[in-house]
Amino acid sequence: MAAWVTHGTGIFKVDPERNIVIPDALESTLQVKVAFDGETIWFRYRWPVERPSLFNDVLVYQDGEWIARGGEALGPNPDFLTEDRVAMMIDDGSVPLFSRYGGYITIGDGLTTFTGTPETEEERTKYLPDTRTDPNDFDTIRPESDLQMLRAAGQFIDLWQWRSSRSNPIGLGDDGFVAEERGGDAGDGPYITNFDYAAGQPMFMFNPDVAGYRALAIDDVTSAAVGFNDTYYLSAETAVPFDPDYAWQNGDTIPRRFLQPETGSRADVVQPASARWRNGFWDVTLQRSMDTGNPLDDKIFRDRRSYDLAFAVFRNASTMRWHSISLPVSLGLGTTAQIQARRSEPGQPDWTGPWTEIEVYYPGQITWGRLVDLRQHPGADRIAARVPVAYRHSERQLALYGIEMEFAEEIRSQWLWTLAMSLSLIVAFGVAMVLLFRRPEGKA
Amino acid sequence: MPVLVAGAALAHGGGGGVEMELEGTPSFSIPPVYHILVVHFPIALWLTAALFIFFRVFSNSDLAVRLQKSVWPLILLGSLAGVVAYGLGQSIYLWSALTQSPLGRNHIMLATWTLSYWTVLGVLGYRYRRHLFEGAQRWVSFILTLIGAAVVTITGTLGGALNGTPSLVTKTLGDLGWEVYMTFYLPTWMLWAFGLGAVVIVARGVLGRRRA
Repeated sequence: MAAWVTHGTGIFKVDPERNIVIPDALESTLQVKVAFDGETIWFRYRWPVERPSLFNDVLVYQDGEWIARGGEALGPNPDFLTEDRVAMMIDDGSVPLFSRYGGYITIGDGLTTFTGTPETEEERTKYLPDTRTDPNDFDTIRPESDLQMLRAAGQFIDLWQWRSSRSNPIGLGDDGFVAEERGGDAGDGPYITNFDYAAGQPMFMFNPDVAGYRALAIDDVTSAAVGFNDTYYLSAETAVPFDPDYAWQNGDTIPRRFLQPETGSRADVVQPASARWRNGFWDVTLQRSMDTGNPLDDKIFRDRRSYDLAFAVFRNASTMRWHSISLPVSLGLGTTAQIQARRSEPGQPDWTGPWTEIEVYYPGQITWGRLVDLRQHPGADRIAARVPVAYRHSERQLALYGIEMEFAEEIRSQWLWTLAMSLSLIVAFGVAMVLLFRRPEGKA
Repeated sequence: MPVLVAGAALAHGGGGGVEMELEGTPSFSIPPVYHILVVHFPIALWLTAALFIFFRVFSNSDLAVRLQKSVWPLILLGSLAGVVAYGLGQSIYLWSALTQSPLGRNHIMLATWTLSYWTVLGVLGYRYRRHLFEGAQRWVSFILTLIGAAVVTITGTLGGALNGTPSLVTKTLGDLGWEVYMTFYLPTWMLWAFGLGAVVIVARGVLGRRRA
């Protein structure tokens, strides 16, 4: 009984040295609806969030200096200074294996925040295997001419993102891609860094005529006292150039990002209106022209076709790999699929249909190189045989495998000892029973 | 151009599928179908023995006594088939891969328990035969057999789950506190307790034997 109660304990722990933090909730549900009218396609996402993050990174005045706080962190940011996000990868069948394995194919070895990856200035982002001469080696990127040809062959994933702090306040999404890297489409993104490194101070502050203040108080920011009805972001409408001569007080806080209109291909994904968090849920809608005219940046949506999607949800002030992902999901525009897009009147998305419930889960540190290596993954031959991941694994199973892999060697060693000691107990039991059982002499 | 061709071929190539380079392909492996085939022999033999034991525990009829005589051959034949099935199971995947799979580890663990436990029962059956059903010892035999039937069932269901077909038993184990998709391992202090327990059990047997 004691063994039953204590099994599986003693190994899982937070380990900052190895970038290991296990989220409290391994699984969650994302709800999705899709509508299209022949010109525009709308995606609506809804997911539970106990406390929304309205801020990402901020600048806090302290004893004459402006100090950056928040943004990237190991696991959840305790001050809730990491924004909520939803991301969606889209493919039209051009990327090998994406429809079967989703985002797993983009996880090469040695990505930023993975255990054992040294910290570098350059972020080592996800990439597609065919963009490398050795798919498991981030540094073996193919020549630019080859990458262009792969792009022309459709070997890229369209990546849409919505950010609660860095795009939502001004009603934008963010249009990007995954190919040789995870990047933004051509053009300007929805934010710039609000910091003048030469002067060591912000470039912008709140416009006191609009906001009623030049800065927020850090305690109000971290305690969620600042809400949607306050002016909490910097943009052309809410900001003015920074005033270095103002009598700044310790704790004065200014967002580290200045929001701006996007340009070029990066401006394709927008919102009909800024999303609001209500009743424990984010309810976000993104829209885009079905044909953006940028086929090298975007997957073009066409009526009667199906597409493959994979989602990621960031919540509880977590970013980077501390997100929840989905298995690949099919989308049908007038065709049968897991998510059925509703044909709508021009400009009027039809949301009358039911939500499609999509399980999302913490993926851990599972690399594509591990999955296709028979020495590390018993199912590698199934992948070679193109058996879809959903056929063999549930989301729950993958979440549990994900956290086990973060402690793979420790668990393997402990398991071997458990195997040996339990076997010794059984053998000892047999010996004792042979000695103890009563058999009257002379009788068989 | 070669890259473009390769990209297009990968996406839409021969057989409409994808060719992949598979790392670590072993020089020798036996397809899982043979393990799946053979493993039903020990299961059938052990569970038949369990059925006869249960019958004998509750009955002193001639039929029960006659069936009881076949118990230990059934168990030991099952163990023999179990050794073959165990070996075939180990040859399906590389050891390095199988021991990195939580479900694989659990299946190996339970298979080891099952094989060793039933072998012990077989030895007891051979040594004590009908005396196992005398007096209060019949209830010890009943409980030991019940445990044996349980570990066979769990091992089998883990094998099914490993092959992609989880069952209600898998879910029930989760409800009882063991999520089978996580490795069953013990904390270090429990390992010491197990080791110490093994020594104590043997010592108890030796001392008990001397007193007798």
